[in-house]
Amino acid sequence: MRKFLLIVFTIVLVFFCLNGNVLAQKKVLHIYTAFDTEEAKYYIDSFEEETGIDVQWVRLSSGEVLARIEAEASNPQASVWHAGSNTSHINAASKGLLEPYKPNTDFELPELFHADDWAWTGFYTGAIGFVTNTNFLAENDMEAPTSWDDLLHPKLKQNVALAYPYTSGTAYTTFATLVQMWGLEEALDWWEEFDRHSIFQYTQSGTACIGMVGLGEIAVGIAFSHDILAKGINAGYPVVMTFPEEGTGYEVGGLSLIKGGPEPELGKQFIDWCFTVKAQDLFQKYSRLPVNPKATVAEGSVTLDQVNLIDYDHILAGESKDEWVAAWRDRIGK
Amino acid sequence: MNSSRNRKIKEIIDQLTLIWKEPILFIFILLIFYFLITFVVFPIFQVVKNSMYINGSWDFSNYIAIFSKRYFVQPLINSIVLGIYTATIGTIAGFFFAYALTRTPLPFKNFFRLTITFPIISPPFVVALAAILLFGRAGSLTPWLKSLIGNYSIYGLGGLVLVETIAYSPTAFLVLYGVLQAIDPSLEEASMDLGASWSKVFSTITLPLATPGIASAWLLVFIQSMADFGNPMVISGDFRVLSVQAYLQITGMYDLPRGSTLAMLLLIPTITAFFLQKYWVSRKSYVTVTGKPTGATVKNLDWYIKLPVYGVCLLYTGIVLLFYGTIVYGSFQTLWGVNPTLTLKNYVEMLEVGKDYLYDSVFLSSIATPITGILGMFIAYLIIRKKFIGRGLMEFISMLTFAVPGTVVGIGYILAFNQKSILFPFILTGTALIIIILLIFRDMPVGIRSGIAALQQIDPAIEEASTDLGADSNTTFRKITLPMIAPAFFSGLAYGFVKAMTAISAVIFVVSGKWNLITIAILGFVDNTQYARAAAMSIILIIIILIALGVIQFLVNRIGKGVRLTTIVE
Repeated sequence: MRKFLLIVFTIVLVFFCLNGNVLAQKKVLHIYTAFDTEEAKYYIDSFEEETGIDVQWVRLSSGEVLARIEAEASNPQASVWHAGSNTSHINAASKGLLEPYKPNTDFELPELFHADDWAWTGFYTGAIGFVTNTNFLAENDMEAPTSWDDLLHPKLKQNVALAYPYTSGTAYTTFATLVQMWGLEEALDWWEEFDRHSIFQYTQSGTACIGMVGLGEIAVGIAFSHDILAKGINAGYPVVMTFPEEGTGYEVGGLSLIKGGPEPELGKQFIDWCFTVKAQDLFQKYSRLPVNPKATVAEGSVTLDQVNLIDYDHILAGESKDEWVAAWRDRIGK
Repeated sequence: MNSSRNRKIKEIIDQLTLIWKEPILFIFILLIFYFLITFVVFPIFQVVKNSMYINGSWDFSNYIAIFSKRYFVQPLINSIVLGIYTATIGTIAGFFFAYALTRTPLPFKNFFRLTITFPIISPPFVVALAAILLFGRAGSLTPWLKSLIGNYSIYGLGGLVLVETIAYSPTAFLVLYGVLQAIDPSLEEASMDLGASWSKVFSTITLPLATPGIASAWLLVFIQSMADFGNPMVISGDFRVLSVQAYLQITGMYDLPRGSTLAMLLLIPTITAFFLQKYWVSRKSYVTVTGKPTGATVKNLDWYIKLPVYGVCLLYTGIVLLFYGTIVYGSFQTLWGVNPTLTLKNYVEMLEVGKDYLYDSVFLSSIATPITGILGMFIAYLIIRKKFIGRGLMEFISMLTFAVPGTVVGIGYILAFNQKSILFPFILTGTALIIIILLIFRDMPVGIRSGIAALQQIDPAIEEASTDLGADSNTTFRKITLPMIAPAFFSGLAYGFVKAMTAISAVIFVVSGKWNLITIAILGFVDNTQYARAAAMSIILIIIILIALGVIQFLVNRIGKGVRLTTIVE
C-alpha cells in the first residue's frame, strides 16, 4: 500500500509543480482574451509564430476579465487584455486598472477608436444588423427589414430571435442603441411590443440566432455584421444582411495594457502587432472590420461608412449597463 | 451505563493510539481530510459565503432581491417542475424496462438493456441535439408531427422533459433493475400458485416491495434533472432553468453574488432529495440479500400483460435508436438543414479543429480517472475497515459531491481558487490542474461507492486472518484486499472515465484557452448552429469512450470474474 500511495502522492506533487506559478519560464507573455477560443488561437498562434514569444493566454468573457484584473490589481497576473467590447475596457480604465499606451502604428487611429488618454485602443469594429432568411422572404413576398419597426411586421409574428441583453454584448448593444436613440422609456415600450409580437425566443449567445435564421427556424435575427457574414452568409446559409435606416449601434473591440502587468514591454509589442496590416488582415477569416485602412476588408463586408450609425456613446452604455439591464428585466420579465 | 461509557472511552483511546501504531495511515487520513476540505467543502462554503456575506457582514439581501423578482423566481419554479416531470416519467420508463427484463421472457434482453443504458455513456446534450434535428422548426420529422398534433415548439418544457427522460431514465432503470432482481421471485410465484391474478400479485407483492426502490429512483432522477446543464443550454428556449441562469448571471453579468444565490437555490432541493434518498428511503429497503443469486424467473404471463410491456419497451427503444441514428446521419451531412449531400468533411474537419480538444479531454480524464479510482477505493477502505475519529464525517463529505449540482461546484471552484488562500496558497484558475482536481472530486463518489460495495462483500474474517498471521495493515491491504476488490475498482474506473469525458456543468467554469474540453467545444458548435459538426464530434467522443470501455472491460476480464460495467451505477 505504501508504494502505490507514494506514487499517487508523487503524481499529485508533480502536478502542483507543473502548473503556473512554481516553475519559472523563459520569454512569456500573459494575456487575457475575450475572443472565442478558436478565434483567439488563430490570432495568437500567428503572433507567436512571427515573434517567437510564448503567449500564455486565458479565454474569459469581458465581465470575467474585468473582475479578474480588479481582484488581481495588487499583483497582476497578465499584461494585456485582448478583445472584448470597449465598454468593459472603459469601465476598467475608470477604475484605474489600465496603463495608458499609444501604440506605434503606421496610420492615424481615429478618435472614435481610442481613449483620450490612450488607456484603451480599438482594433476592430462591427455594426448591429439584421439577418434574414431569403427563402422566407421569397415565400412571403417580403423585403428584408430595413428599420426597427419593420421587425413588428405581422408576418414576423414569433419569427425573430436575439440573445438576452444580460447575457450577450450583441444584444446589450442592440438595446443600448435603442435607449440612446429614443430614451429608456420609449425603448422599453417598443421592446415590450417587440417581445409580445415578434420574439420567438431569446438565446444565450449573441451569434446563435444567425444559424437559426439560416436553418429557417426563424425568419429574422439581430447580430453584429461580422458575425452575420462569417457565420451566416459565408457558412453557406440562404441569408441576407440589412441595416436599420434610422440608425444602428456598433461595437469597438478593445485592447489594453494592464497596469503593473508582469511583462509591459512584451505587452506593448503585442499591442503594436495587433495594429499591423498583417495582423489586421487576419480579421478577414472572422469578417471583423479592421481599423487599419491598409488592411484588406473581408469580401461582402459592410463598412461603418456604408450604414447609418447613431452617435453611440460607449462610455454611457458601459456605465449604465446594470441600470438598463435591470429596467429591461423588470419590464420584459425574462 | 458506566461500563458503556468506559467502553466508549477505551474505543477513543484505541483510535488515538493509531497515531503511533500506524503513523503512515494516520498521515494519510489527515491528508485525505485536507483534500476533502479544500476541494469539496471549501468551494461550497465559498458559494454560501458569496451569496450571504456582503460588505463585511452576513445578510440575506441577495435572497430577498431574488425572491422579489419574477424573472429570478420563475427559473426556480421551472427547475422544480421539470425535475418532477422528468423524475416521474423517467421512473415509469425505467420500471417498465426493469420489469420486462426481470419478470418476463422478453427476447433480446441484452439488446434492450444496452439500448436503454446507452445514454449513460454519451455526452448529456447529444439527445437534445438530436431532438432539434428531428423536431426543431426545421427538423426532419417536423412536418409529419405538425400534421399530427398541430403547431408545437421543441424548445421548452415539453422538449426538455423528452430529452431528459431519455438521458436519465437509465439511472432509474439501473436502480429498479437491481431492486427487482433482488426481490425473491418465489414470493410472487407462491402467490400465483395459490391462485392470485397477475394484478393482485403485482399490486400486493411486487409493487410494495419495490416501493423504496421506486422512491429512490425518482429522487435520483430528480437530482439529475435539476442539476442538468447541457440539455437546457441547448433546448430550453424561453423556459429558463436555474442551472443555466446561475451560469449566465456569472458569465454574462459577472454578478457573482447573485449567481451564487441562484446556485444556492439549486442546491437546496437537490441536497434535500439526496438526504431523503440516502437516509430515509434506502433504509426502508425490503430487499433481502441472501448471498445466493436469485436470478430472474420467467413466468407464464398472459398476453395482455406482456403485450403492453413489450410494446412500451419496443417504442421506447425505437425512440432512443431514432435519436442516436439521427446524430449519426446528421454527422455526414454537408450543412444540416440546407445542404443534405452526404460527406466525410465534418469528420475530417473535426479531427483537425477538434484534435486539441480531444487530446485535452482524453489527457485530463486519463490523469483524473486513476486518481479518482485509487483515492475512492482508499477512502472506501478506510470507511469500511478502519475505525478512526471522523470516519462518519469523511463518508459524508466524500459523498456530498454527488448531491451538489455541477453548476454549484463550478462556481465554488472559481470563487475558491482564483485567489490564494490559507488552505491552498496557489492560484489554480486557468491551469490543467484545476480541471483534473475538479474531475477527481466530482467523480469520487462513484469510486467510493463501488469500493464500498466490493468491500462489503468480502468477509472481514479473511483480512483478520491475515492480520493474525502477522501481516500489518499495508500488507493485508496489498495482498488480500486489493486483489479481491480489483474488479469493482476497474468498473468504478470505467464509469469515472465516462463521467470525466462527458462532464460539462462544472468544468465549463474552469476551462481556459490552454485547456479546453471536447464537450464544451461541442456545446459551442451547437450554439453556432453547426449541428453537423457537433454531431460528428459527438460520434467521435462516443467512439473514444467505447474504446476505453472495451480496454477496461478487457482488463476486468483478465483480472476478475467479468463484472458487467453497467451494473456499478447503483
